[in-house]
Amino acid sequence: MLTDEQRAVYSRLADVLIPSAEGMPSASEADVPTKWINDALGYRPDLVPAFLQALEIGADGEAEAAVVRINSTDSVAFDALGVLTSGSYFLNPAVKELIGYPGQVPSPAYDDTATYIDMLAAVVERGPIFRPTVT
Amino acid sequence: MSNTHLIQRPLPEVVDVLVIGAGASGSVAVSELAQNGFSVACLEQGDWTPATEFAGDKPEWELVKQKKWHPNPNVRQGPSDYPINTDESDVNPLLYNGVGGSTILYAAHWCRMMPSDFQTRTLDDVGDDWPFTYEDLQPFYEEMERTMGVSGLGGDPAYPDEPSFPLPPLPLGKVGLKAAAGMDKLGWHWWPGANSIASKEIGHRPACLRYGACLTGCPAGAKASTDLTHWPDALEAGAHLVTGARVREITVDDKGLASGAVYIDRDGVEHTQKARIVVLAANGVGTPRLMLLSKSEQHPNGLANSTDLVGRRLMMHPYGAAVGTYEDELESWLGPAGQILHSMEFYETDKSRGFVRGAKWNLMPSGGPLGMRSGYGGRPVDESFGVNFHKNVKRVLGRSFEWGVIAEDLPDESNRVILDPELTDSDGIPAPKLLYKSSENTEKLIKWHVARAVEAHEAAGATSIETTELMRDCGWHLLGTAKMGNDPKTSVVNQWGAAHDCPNLIIIDGSVFATSSGMNPTATIMANALRSIRHLVENRATQPMSGE
Repeated sequence: MLTDEQRAVYSRLADVLIPSAEGMPSASEADVPTKWINDALGYRPDLVPAFLQALEIGADGEAEAAVVRINSTDSVAFDALGVLTSGSYFLNPAVKELIGYPGQVPSPAYDDTATYIDMLAAVVERGPIFRPTVT
Repeated sequence: MSNTHLIQRPLPEVVDVLVIGAGASGSVAVSELAQNGFSVACLEQGDWTPATEFAGDKPEWELVKQKKWHPNPNVRQGPSDYPINTDESDVNPLLYNGVGGSTILYAAHWCRMMPSDFQTRTLDDVGDDWPFTYEDLQPFYEEMERTMGVSGLGGDPAYPDEPSFPLPPLPLGKVGLKAAAGMDKLGWHWWPGANSIASKEIGHRPACLRYGACLTGCPAGAKASTDLTHWPDALEAGAHLVTGARVREITVDDKGLASGAVYIDRDGVEHTQKARIVVLAANGVGTPRLMLLSKSEQHPNGLANSTDLVGRRLMMHPYGAAVGTYEDELESWLGPAGQILHSMEFYETDKSRGFVRGAKWNLMPSGGPLGMRSGYGGRPVDESFGVNFHKNVKRVLGRSFEWGVIAEDLPDESNRVILDPELTDSDGIPAPKLLYKSSENTEKLIKWHVARAVEAHEAAGATSIETTELMRDCGWHLLGTAKMGNDPKTSVVNQWGAAHDCPNLIIIDGSVFATSSGMNPTATIMANALRSIRHLVENRATQPMSGE
């Protein structure tokens, strides 16, 4: 679990990565630093050390410069920060709804052969395209 | 239906057949042997993977698939995995250790090889002819298609017998129709992809729910992994399965015949299982690793390795891809993933292209919003983040799909599996090391095919196209490291998988491929395994065995 200090640093960095724009909420507005990052860190414990390293590198100074500094000094830490922030954002059902993504929900298979069978006739008409066995 | 079956019986001191590996080929062997009255035991270093563990139907899917369900064992680092040194390989090997083997994580593309794939030396003066033909393997393909419950559409003019399948094809959806329209504009071959994924309920397997998560394990149980398709019946028929059993050596008797295996259980205890016949089914890396580990007075260069060919001729199918993005909403997160379409338009050799051999193309969806969002480090921040984060999601999500190119790589004895002199697995057993370089022919092949795939996207109306000419994490197909052939001087096993130097050692995985073809190999691995084991069953009276 993040300390209050780490969470404050992360909140500033996360909003640089995912700002409020294009009709979409920022990371903070989507509860990434306060809620969803906790879940994401639980799903990816392997990324926790690199993520904390990113927070340490980015602790000081203006947030945009801090993100650039993380990226330029430690690509592994930046990858962890990027994956966990993006992944946390998409865990939020409200975000999924805004981008039109239903998530991994069941969508039973159906037979749509009738929609393309006429198209396939042209493929068949062009004839065989294999080289037969040489005997 | 549960995919874990814990039938425990006391192991006989000596079994008729010991099978090493419970994946695609080992499952076929165990099932066939048990149902024909053989006493058979299987040693599998992994365990059952309950379908409830798969993340494809859970919100965290895209996060966990990059670690726990990653196909690269060096990334996944699960308790069943062994490390593989890839410092000198252009391609990373991808596999899964457990009951069902890599069928747990495979994409379930079901592709028969073409007739020409069995005769590359005769037709193109490269590689080697297989010791049998497409027509010899055809009935075994058919049988495996029934067993695996393959979904597909009959009548494909790319094949001589225009195979039909037991289940109708999975839906093309908006993605497939968009891509097909592009191919039609160009007059290029396409066909609904055949997949070992149930489009309708079959046996104990329900129909596909299109989670699009095939590559991370099917939470619906619709994908034909062999823990579902083979193991229940094999165990009912009396087969023994030992999970968590990591083999460190195949033993031999004083005649040099295989006599069993030494394995280490998950408590670190060493065991010896004796057998009259040993079947190796540990994939194109694990099988040569075990053979090289099994040195003896009778086999000083490793088991059945008088030719020094064991581990050599490694082929891994370098993979190229073109991903097109479209204005239309295509729901491109939906499965199957899986091949929606395939194309054999450029499969056969045309030397005017500047290379020989070819590739199968497969059409696949692009997944959810996180997708391949990794490896940002070092690239400009605003390329993937800031306002562009939102713009990219809106532009790509649900609107992109991939034409992938399975490039045939030709056998080269310098591409090989060796034992790493220092790296070991968690039991202290030397790990494999891969020495693998993509050839000039392969590089030309992929470059040319990817350029055509770009044209296919353009014809279909893509607004942007990104290409990859060699994906490093693409080594799903581990082939060729114990070559089959008629000549004991130039091959490791005969056409039935029996080692020339050790006739009661039967190898049935992708190691025996004489050439790689440009196809996903599971159909051929399983059909060949069935052909080899059925030959063993039918010729049991004359089969050499240890202890006779």
